[in-house]
Amino acid sequence: MTTTIADIAGLLKEIPPGAWVAISEEKNAVLAYGADAQSVFSEAQEKGEEMPLIVRVPDRGTAMFL
Amino acid sequence: MAKSTFRYVPFPITSNDVHPQGTTAYRPVAIATITASNGNSVRWIVMPDSGADDCLFPLTLAIMLKLDVLQLPKAVTGGVGSQANTTYYDNLTIDMGNGIAFGAYAGFTQGMDSVGMGLLGQSGFLESYAVEFRHCDKIFTVEKP
Repeated sequence: MTTTIADIAGLLKEIPPGAWVAISEEKNAVLAYGADAQSVFSEAQEKGEEMPLIVRVPDRGTAMFL
Repeated sequence: MAKSTFRYVPFPITSNDVHPQGTTAYRPVAIATITASNGNSVRWIVMPDSGADDCLFPLTLAIMLKLDVLQLPKAVTGGVGSQANTTYYDNLTIDMGNGIAFGAYAGFTQGMDSVGMGLLGQSGFLESYAVEFRHCDKIFTVEKP
């Protein structure tokens, strides 16, 4: 697993807000994205990625208080 | 002893009345492998949160881990902006790499779906690891005492 968080920020630049994204850490590439996380996960597995990194693009740039 | 250093990540905050020009929030996040009690694993983004009693994840992750949510123990939990979240619990193994791996009786709740990432709270994580935040250098370290 070689991907860093910094790599991911670049990968998500063109992905719509609110989307779930499956990333191949080995290939450093987005494999699938969409509104449904399970579908995105399944699509990535169908492309041969057994355990993709799953990330959600923030809906909007807001401050967080958790 | 296991010790690992992670970088803060900049998250852009869009323009609003408070920050008309927008701003940037630097958050201490990392990538972890989350393994459920059924053996299924998913790679996920996590963030230490000393304000969280337990480790907490989006409900979506439970479904992706193929957990039967309705069969899991549940409790009502609260947080900022919401005081009555149904939270389902499972025994997870959370592996952040470099020997930083731990078990946690962790929750899944729908309210976390909009956040997307997981929170590493007191039970399981902060009770076992010393975490040093160095926002001035935009790094944080996790170390087994």
